[in-house]
Amino acid sequence: MLLLKVGVYVARGVCRVVLNGELDMETVAQLQEVVGKVGECTLEVDLSGVTFVDSTGLKCLLDIQDYWRQKGGQMLILKSQPDVAEVMQLVGLDRLLTQNSAPAEEER
Amino acid sequence: MRMCLECAEKNPDRLCVECKYFIQPGPLRRVLSPPVQVLLEGERRNQYPAYILALNTREFGLKTEAPVPGQYVMRLQESLWVEVAGVPFKGKNDVHVFDILCVHRGQETARRLSTEEYQLLAGNTGELVVEISRHLPEHLQNLVREKLLAEVEKSELINALRVGKVMKYEGGRFRHLSGQADLDLPMEEAEKLMRQVVNQVEHRREVIVSADGQKVFDLHGVPFDHRNGGLLAFDITEVIEKERRMHRQEMQAYREAIAAVTGGRLYLVNGEEMEKVVSEGTELAKGEVGQTRDIPEARRAMREALPVLDGRRRHAITLCLTEALTNALKHAGGGCWQARQSGDTVRIIVQDRGPGIKNSELARATLMQHYSTKNSLGCGFTLMLYYADYLYLNTGPSGTVLALDFGVVPADRLKQDQ
Repeated sequence: MLLLKVGVYVARGVCRVVLNGELDMETVAQLQEVVGKVGECTLEVDLSGVTFVDSTGLKCLLDIQDYWRQKGGQMLILKSQPDVAEVMQLVGLDRLLTQNSAPAEEER
Repeated sequence: MRMCLECAEKNPDRLCVECKYFIQPGPLRRVLSPPVQVLLEGERRNQYPAYILALNTREFGLKTEAPVPGQYVMRLQESLWVEVAGVPFKGKNDVHVFDILCVHRGQETARRLSTEEYQLLAGNTGELVVEISRHLPEHLQNLVREKLLAEVEKSELINALRVGKVMKYEGGRFRHLSGQADLDLPMEEAEKLMRQVVNQVEHRREVIVSADGQKVFDLHGVPFDHRNGGLLAFDITEVIEKERRMHRQEMQAYREAIAAVTGGRLYLVNGEEMEKVVSEGTELAKGEVGQTRDIPEARRAMREALPVLDGRRRHAITLCLTEALTNALKHAGGGCWQARQSGDTVRIIVQDRGPGIKNSELARATLMQHYSTKNSLGCGFTLMLYYADYLYLNTGPSGTVLALDFGVVPADRLKQDQ
């Protein structure tokens, strides 16, 4: 059983990474690997299909954002489920991660 | 007695210490070279310097201006003083035999010097120290002598507590030099230590627990050469017990502080209390983690084992299990977990055999957000503190146990209540 599915969609300078499943110590490497391959663009991480994120998963998102900013890019977190959003808020990441809760305008 | 008078007339230059009539000859008769200076105090507090020329356990041969006959007090150490009386017909000029009337050591009294007191005056420990340090490089000799003398001094103080001992190791055999003769040392261990010391000609120190686990000894072995060495042994059982008491007091202070700032939800518990915490209720599920892929597996097993619950509560429990297991994996390389239920409480327990959380880090590790010793977000504990109703933590050098309680009102009953 695959714990995390990572889909990558690139269109007009925007790279959207769509995650489905659970993001934790076991699966963060999958996300890191995909992001490492992405070229210069605005990065959007779609969490709508993520049912579970723990502190290791959140740390990974924060690291990716820092890495992306250092490269001069922008990163957006899209559509977290309520349980995940609550965890992000609890550890204060809602203020550190740039989020966009509105549905994305681009079609996949 | 006539003999001394005659001797004084006929052989005024003959030394008393060389005379067999002066202090009874025998193995305990000892001539001190150089003489040890002491102070005699008379009945009216008048003081006379005196030199101990020779002694056995019942008599001193003193060179002093103090009038004889006469009774005096001789102070040897803070808590050791001896009442003596000059014997007029034994000795000549300013050298006389003084009988020991009474030895006062602390609360005790005796009619003669103990072996230790005798050896202390006879200078054996001093000789030992010189002998110990003689083979050392010159620049270390004074330092080592100073330290050892301090140790010996301490051991002599410890004599009062009856817990120290100095021995000489001579090619496989021990000779008692000073201190508590009946100190119940684990001799087999002491012999092993001294064998290593003389074989490698290097100083060794070991702390050894007696076979019955009742006593703790601090052993210092010092080599003289390839056959011989000195052994200083201290019974540190009481010191250790004192340290434990201090540790317990410290833990108690931490317990109270941590319970206070968490509103009485996080408890630091001792091993005994934790035994109880981990055995209450009935087991729902259990497992082990040794690698990252075991963590989602534990979550899956946990979800299956949980009673029907409100979704948020299920999420909270699996999140906390994940955080606790992640900690165990990061800090201890793995561990085991179990979930238990008793009434409306689900308790998850994560146990590891890691090095434990140090006392000095405990508050930060559990209470401070974003504090991590292992380069993570460091908010695992924050999340557990938020979601769990009660937390029990037991940590020490042999591992850490964390138990988290979650009140679980079954989803169907929740609907009925609403």
